[in-house]
Amino acid sequence: MTLFIDTHLNDVVIILYKDGEVVKERVIEDVKETSNIVMPTIKKVLNKSIPDSIVVVNGPGSFTGVRLGVTTAKTLAFSWQKEIRTITSLECMALSTDKTNKIVAFSDKNGYYIGIFTNDYKLVGNYEYLSNSEFEEYSKKYPVITEVELDYKKIIEFALTKETLNPHEVNPLYVKKIAVEK
Amino acid sequence: MKDVNILSIETSCDETSIAIVKNGTEVVALTILTQMDTHANFGGVVPEIASRMHTENITMVLEETLNKAKMKVSDVDAIAVTYTPGLLGSLLVGVEFAKVLSYVYDKPLIKVNHLIGHIYANKIGDNLKFPCLALIISGGHTELVKMTGDYEFEMLGETQDDAIGEAFDKVARVIGLPYPGGPNIEKLARDGEDTYKLPHAVNDDSYNFSYSGLKSSVINLVNNEKQRGNEINKANLACSFQTTAVEELTRKLELALKKTDIKNVIIAGGVSANKYLRGKIKEVCDKYEANLTLPEFIYCTDNAAMIGAAAYPLYLKGEFADLDLNAESTSRIC
Repeated sequence: MTLFIDTHLNDVVIILYKDGEVVKERVIEDVKETSNIVMPTIKKVLNKSIPDSIVVVNGPGSFTGVRLGVTTAKTLAFSWQKEIRTITSLECMALSTDKTNKIVAFSDKNGYYIGIFTNDYKLVGNYEYLSNSEFEEYSKKYPVITEVELDYKKIIEFALTKETLNPHEVNPLYVKKIAVEK
Repeated sequence: MKDVNILSIETSCDETSIAIVKNGTEVVALTILTQMDTHANFGGVVPEIASRMHTENITMVLEETLNKAKMKVSDVDAIAVTYTPGLLGSLLVGVEFAKVLSYVYDKPLIKVNHLIGHIYANKIGDNLKFPCLALIISGGHTELVKMTGDYEFEMLGETQDDAIGEAFDKVARVIGLPYPGGPNIEKLARDGEDTYKLPHAVNDDSYNFSYSGLKSSVINLVNNEKQRGNEINKANLACSFQTTAVEELTRKLELALKKTDIKNVIIAGGVSANKYLRGKIKEVCDKYEANLTLPEFIYCTDNAAMIGAAAYPLYLKGEFADLDLNAESTSRIC
């Protein structure tokens, strides 16, 4: 049984996956205070069971949102001594589209996180953060996918093929630079 | 009575700290991972970087604390965490971490106010005697509080503008001292004399404080001297500033000692690490035959041991938090 945690934007997504199927799914949309919601939701979904492994979306996205999901996931994995793996928010999008041009992006209002993937879901180059105007120019030249319905079954299946990590080393992927880094 | 061990977590600013405290008075193990060197590169704490480093390090800080204590999380009786006041993003990491431990190990969760933690730093070694006057002095607070028992507070006075630590940091920046400003002013002041005339806040009968006037006068003085092309004697200015800032505290403390006839005084908060300040407060206490209690040096700055000490009375009262606990950036003691 695998616990999947995604808090990278305004939604909190907690899923239980077992024997190739999503067996429980709780999506709480447009959460204002993510911190209130994450642990109570996980408690409800697990209903006293302990998963064998954890998958967490480690970004990019809202800094605080990603940090909450990652802190929760790595602490759970460390405490239970269970396997932990990460998947990025943009990998989730690429995995959920059938289109062959897998340039995927999503907005955080100030700009766009963008990633280019091969047909077998390997990242080409690096993730980038584009301003709204840069993104507008870019999307005129290339077909960018910004709307996908996430296929959690496929996402978790793919994540489980990845290497497990030491919980201490599970960390957020921020991509967007902060003022002091510029 | 059975011993009570509390695992406590503090991430309100730029220290990731975890402790195990027995019966609210004995530190079984304490780990403090400071980010000071990182933030020094930016001239002050960068909140986003502080939050990032808490997430990176927190499970390792736990592991180290457990190893030192030769204990497991399942051995403790409760999980305590600082939930206010502080940098919101930093507090959130500690709060989330505490909630996970409380859930996994099925231990009660205790939410602790960071400032009350600073007061209870004096409980380590069991030195907190009631009634007492508590002077809370830090980068965000300057408060004089009367305590009549555990968690029984009465606010006597507080700063009307800047906190004393904030004034130290801003003055340090103006005279070109690196971060952290407060300790560097103290160091430099030792080589100086009180030669600059700086204004005292209005001498009224309240217990309130004010530091913005003093801070502004130092900034104006530096700017005026620069314009005139005069050199500033930095050591003397640091000394004059520190002398005036501390006089403001001792004057109000003396007033309270005189009026309330309380014979126990404690100082708490990051600025209480200032040795000049400690000396001056001791002089006032001696004059009124009051007993001054200071936290051990290591418990003056942010640390999780004080959070464990402050959590103990709440544990005894059964005041526990739920898994929907949230962090709050600002708050008051009373």
